Amino acid sequence: MKILLIEDDATTSDYVSKGLREEGHTVDALTNGRDGLAQALAGEYDVMIADRMLPELDGLSVVRAVRAAKITTPVIFLTAIGGVDDRIEGLNAGADDYLVKPFAFGELSARLAALARRPQAQAEQVVLEAGDLRMDLISRRVTRAGQEIDLLPREFALLEFLLRRKGRVQTRTMLLEGVWDLNFDPQTNVVETHISRLRNKVDKPFERDLIHTVRGAGYRIEG
Amino acid sequence: MRRWRLNRAAILASTPLRQALGLMALVFAILLVTLGFAYVALRSSSEDSIRADLKQQTAVFQVAANPETLSVIVSAEARAADPAERAIAFVLADGRQVGNVHVVRKSGQWVIGRNPDFPALSQHGYFTLVMPLAGGFLVIGESQAPIAELTSTFLAILIFSFVPSVLVSAAYGAWAGMRTRRRVSVIEDTLDALTEGRLDARVARSAIRAARGDDLARIGARLNVMAATQESTVEALRQVSADIAHDLKTPMQRISVLLSQLQTELPEGSEARQLAARANAEAEGAVAVFHALLQIAQIEGGSPKNRFTPVDLGALAGDITELYAASAEEAGGQIALAKRPSGSMMVLGDRSLLGQMLSNLIENAIRHAGDAPQITVEVVARDELVELRVRDRGPGIPEAERGQVLQRLYRLEHSRTTPGNGLGLALVDAVAGLHDAQLTLSDNAPGLVVTLGFPRV
Repeated sequence: MKILLIEDDATTSDYVSKGLREEGHTVDALTNGRDGLAQALAGEYDVMIADRMLPELDGLSVVRAVRAAKITTPVIFLTAIGGVDDRIEGLNAGADDYLVKPFAFGELSARLAALARRPQAQAEQVVLEAGDLRMDLISRRVTRAGQEIDLLPREFALLEFLLRRKGRVQTRTMLLEGVWDLNFDPQTNVVETHISRLRNKVDKPFERDLIHTVRGAGYRIEG
Repeated sequence: MRRWRLNRAAILASTPLRQALGLMALVFAILLVTLGFAYVALRSSSEDSIRADLKQQTAVFQVAANPETLSVIVSAEARAADPAERAIAFVLADGRQVGNVHVVRKSGQWVIGRNPDFPALSQHGYFTLVMPLAGGFLVIGESQAPIAELTSTFLAILIFSFVPSVLVSAAYGAWAGMRTRRRVSVIEDTLDALTEGRLDARVARSAIRAARGDDLARIGARLNVMAATQESTVEALRQVSADIAHDLKTPMQRISVLLSQLQTELPEGSEARQLAARANAEAEGAVAVFHALLQIAQIEGGSPKNRFTPVDLGALAGDITELYAASAEEAGGQIALAKRPSGSMMVLGDRSLLGQMLSNLIENAIRHAGDAPQITVEVVARDELVELRVRDRGPGIPEAERGQVLQRLYRLEHSRTTPGNGLGLALVDAVAGLHDAQLTLSDNAPGLVVTLGFPRV
């Protein structure tokens, strides 16, 4: 992916750029809002990362200007401003996601991957599959190797969320947002507990594990 | 503009119209009393003069010595007098009578009736004087017409002075009422806007200038001053929060970045790598405390309510309870949602903040309610409230400390060793305040009950 990063803090910028390049992306890093906006308008990027507090032109204005220019490239704010209303303000300005500092690189990476895939016009899928796991969305039945797996409604929703994003890492907060529609970070390991229960039903009785833990980031289902 | 459409009830409730109506009633009462006194005094004096007149008239008749002479005089007087003004009759001893009226004795009283040879009688009755004279009875009656005229004159005075004053004061009251109503609604609109978090709302200058220096103008001006102060305070808080967030979180971010890099540089499984991981976790903990403090300050500083939406508290409680069910079971306990009665459990609010509030309550209960926490979440509708209750059967909170646990960073003696930062209940308190919800901590005997009473939608 071709990624534009607008971040004035050198340490954070280097860290993010290095990490993304290691993952095989191309990164253009800029340190102020004015240059960042010019670059966003000139180049064609798959996704943009912007800080909110930037010299010359603040991040909100950059994103508003980008959207005013009818550029639909997904934007994620990466910012220290994490108040209740700030997130809504950021999304209202036209950003697609909002990540508060300090963040884990895995979280950023997973969210970027989700953003870049977002516009896909998914044909109405009726059956989701991963390896020998099969989920029928109409009869709401789940089978693995022909064996019926009995899931509670929330476990079904969690598995469906992972299956729809097969191969991509989903972080705890992404799961909380997507499956429970909650955007705050509980102190207790609630997501882990739910994943572990799901594993007991989906993976434990079988030889091969489908749900994988990605250290420091989240979970991924593989086929 | 909606408020400018004035309804009748609003005008009737307006102060100026009420004052005008009150004043009108007072004026009417005073008028009634003074005119009443004048009327009574005038009436009795004119009655007296009529009676005196009557007495004087009898003098003419008293000169006649015998009935025949008297009959002649009475006949002459009767022909000259109009019975509607003055009635004269003489009844002789043998029952014959002369005069312009016909009198009849009924149970000792002489009653004046019409004499067919003369015009009609007075419609207002008579003051009568009866006098035994020359072996018979002389009956003289003076019409009460002047008294009736006096009465109708007074009524006319009353009506002519009262009707215009009613019309004038009612018209003035309605006009002033509408005018005040308009200006009050401008002030009310401004207050509503401020409450909803639009801190740049001000009372329009036109409403303040309308009647230079009157009470409403002064209130409007003061409201504007207050709003400006609040706006700058909130703005300052926002600025400070943003600055702190930036100045403190940026180094935190760097620390976290450096520790993550250090972690990957160190050999897997080494003690140094574990230390780096622990340091990273500590940094994250510090950020969490800092983040929670900022969030509480922002909520208490007046988070705008204009983005509130109707939230089904029952459904939200169900979701959060389900989210924590597995964790509670893992802790050897249990969390249950008490079966909620049917009906609306809608409140107006921020779903995310309400969810976080409920999460904090449940996490508190899991953490502090002993080895096998038994937690019950209830949502019930009571009168005008939707009540959310979280009960546990742990050690509870001593009554004396119930107020203090809502303060930031306060921790009970016995919970100092458990994880947590002492901000959970402070956030619950802030979110409750933002939603106008009543927060109560009480005894579950044993355990703690946290009750939140939300205004129902």
